[in-house]
Amino acid sequence: MRILDRLPLVGTRDRSFAAIDARRANLGILVAFLAPALLVYAGFTIYPVIRTFYNAFHTIKPQGVVEFVGLANFQTLLLADSTFWKAVANTAWFAIVATIVDVIGGLLLALCLFARAPLAPLLRVVWFTPVLMSYVVVGIIWVWMYDYDWGLANTVLRWLGLAAFEQSWLGQPSTALWSVLVAHEWKWLGFNMIVFLAALHALPGEVLGAAELDNCGWFAKLVYIIVPMLRTTILNLLVLSFIGKMMVFDLIWVMTGGGPLWATETVSTYVYKRAFEWNTFDLGYPSAIAVLWFVIILLFVAIMSRLLRQRDKLEF
Amino acid sequence: MRASLSIRGAAAAGLVTLAVLFGAAPQANAEDVTIEVWSHEADEPAKVAFRELAVKSFEKSHPGTKVKITWYEKNPLGAALKTALPAGKGPDVFYVEPDQTEYITAGYIVPLDDLVNWNNIEPWARKVWTHNGKTYGIPQEAYTVELYYNKDMLKKLGIALPANAQFTQAQFLDLVKKARAAGMTPVSQGVGDRPYPGAYITVEALLRKLGPDDYQKLFTGKLSFADPRVVEVLKWVKELADAGAYPKNFMTLKLGESHYYFYSKPGALMLPMGSFYTGRAFVPEDKGGQPQTFPLGIMQFPAMDRGACNECKTSTIGASFAINAASKQKKLAGEFLDAMSTPEMGKMWIETVYLQTGIKADVKNFSGPYAAYFTELMERQKGEKYFIGQPRDMVTGECKDSFAQVLNSGFPGGLLSVDQTVQMMNKACFKG
Repeated sequence: MRILDRLPLVGTRDRSFAAIDARRANLGILVAFLAPALLVYAGFTIYPVIRTFYNAFHTIKPQGVVEFVGLANFQTLLLADSTFWKAVANTAWFAIVATIVDVIGGLLLALCLFARAPLAPLLRVVWFTPVLMSYVVVGIIWVWMYDYDWGLANTVLRWLGLAAFEQSWLGQPSTALWSVLVAHEWKWLGFNMIVFLAALHALPGEVLGAAELDNCGWFAKLVYIIVPMLRTTILNLLVLSFIGKMMVFDLIWVMTGGGPLWATETVSTYVYKRAFEWNTFDLGYPSAIAVLWFVIILLFVAIMSRLLRQRDKLEF
Repeated sequence: MRASLSIRGAAAAGLVTLAVLFGAAPQANAEDVTIEVWSHEADEPAKVAFRELAVKSFEKSHPGTKVKITWYEKNPLGAALKTALPAGKGPDVFYVEPDQTEYITAGYIVPLDDLVNWNNIEPWARKVWTHNGKTYGIPQEAYTVELYYNKDMLKKLGIALPANAQFTQAQFLDLVKKARAAGMTPVSQGVGDRPYPGAYITVEALLRKLGPDDYQKLFTGKLSFADPRVVEVLKWVKELADAGAYPKNFMTLKLGESHYYFYSKPGALMLPMGSFYTGRAFVPEDKGGQPQTFPLGIMQFPAMDRGACNECKTSTIGASFAINAASKQKKLAGEFLDAMSTPEMGKMWIETVYLQTGIKADVKNFSGPYAAYFTELMERQKGEKYFIGQPRDMVTGECKDSFAQVLNSGFPGGLLSVDQTVQMMNKACFKG
């Protein structure tokens, strides 16, 4: 009997064209082939999450002794940890501003390319290339660019006769966070640009054509046709961007380490310091910070999704 | 039929999965033993060469034993240990520093009293690692905190070093102002990647002003930062900072870069640094070392007005090694530590790393290209009274974080007033 004779048929009586229906594949085989990935996922994602929740309600004392402390870690965190609140404020500012700049900036760049600006193919490469670099490389590059003496930022200012605006960009609490934000946008705008560009190319051409026939200007076309049709993409990017910024760590760590004077301390860098730099092996408190932040991010995402969801079906 | 085929298929896939996940166990000779060592200081060639020589000599004297050193930068080493040790894993031997007492309190390193030959170690160095009557680390590197300077630049300013190599407070402030006016950077220092160098001038001044007992009380939370003597010192340091003592890129300049800034580009008058300065400076110029003709000098930190101990100096233990409590080869690991700590190795450390050591080494005459440096370094130790330990060995938790952000970075960086500094340090450190 041929193998083909044993395969379940899908939509045809002709066994020579029989297709394999994955939905009817045997459970045992499915489990066996999913098992490696599931094991890795369980070991490196599910277990650490569960363990972090567990640690948040305990204190790990010397000699590996674990003591249940209930909500004590959360109490200290919320009522007596001023550094945590500074980190929350910094992270919130960073997340909100960077998300808005990410999405609006990415859309503008994509529109520029969609409108076939001069040198569009070159610009696409130039704008997307930083996305391919790691945060560590980006951080190092921008630390050099911001160096007071030989960095590009101050050199350009001096060249333009604006030496009075020279700054220690990463050394002043008032400029450090925004300087890191600029570096972040330099790296990340290209990603949103590509996503928006793909979405723009997927828009129905007849709708845009009809708008042009009706003498719709570019701004009106953007506001009344393109943006509403890109709503799903915008919402998805807003949510993804926001989640990413709320967990920002590597760029801050490389560029400022959370300084100066906690001006760039984020929740993630604070968790890392509490876990690895505070002369203690107690992971209870940093786990409590991580759990609380996880809950806060979930709440924000739920609120954002609810506020920005599409109420009326788009008709065209 | 179909059921049995699917069972056999599932079993085959499961076997393949297990094989892929766990792999075949490597074939090993039953007699081969490997001691795993995790070490910092990969970027200091002299120390790398020293430890690798110890490895070769140990392997020769212990046939069938291999020593494998994995090199890390300091912060990643700490993070790797903090994840490996609680899991009962990690290397047999690892690099530690005396401020890392959490390994002792958590029980992750074993007492070395019976595992190591202490006759080769200086008693004062052993004391740094002794807690509750037991010694947990073997000290390798010892260093003093020095104030290096460029002799030619000082000459250019028309200022002569006093006979005792120690300026007064006022003279030092004047030196900083004159250097800045002459277009020199007075003090090369950067806090871009370390939580302590920015505080060198402040804490050395506090040591000389307060004397060792009150200095210890200050950093163990028993003396307030609002103490008038402390405030006086902070005001003086503020004057230095406001006079432009530090470079403009102080906040982002890394420790290694500050060395280069001092002796190469753009050059600076002074560099407060531990005497581990040599690890980066005394390497070939094309590898970032100081030029052969660099006019290096060493002066004392300035004497404080009405200072309780102007002859005081910070000395401490730096690089040390400990044995993992989970190691299955503690005795062998102890023998490796002994191999790194013989008098011959101590002599080699001094003559190649150009740094003091906790190992007993009788080196009366120095030879080699940097002999003059070491002679001057020893000269600067004469008559000095040592305070063993640095503030970061004494502070923990929130106080340690504040030390890094405030005394190390914000205050010398000109971001904080004296009152703000006192307030923030007291909040984090003073126990009342």
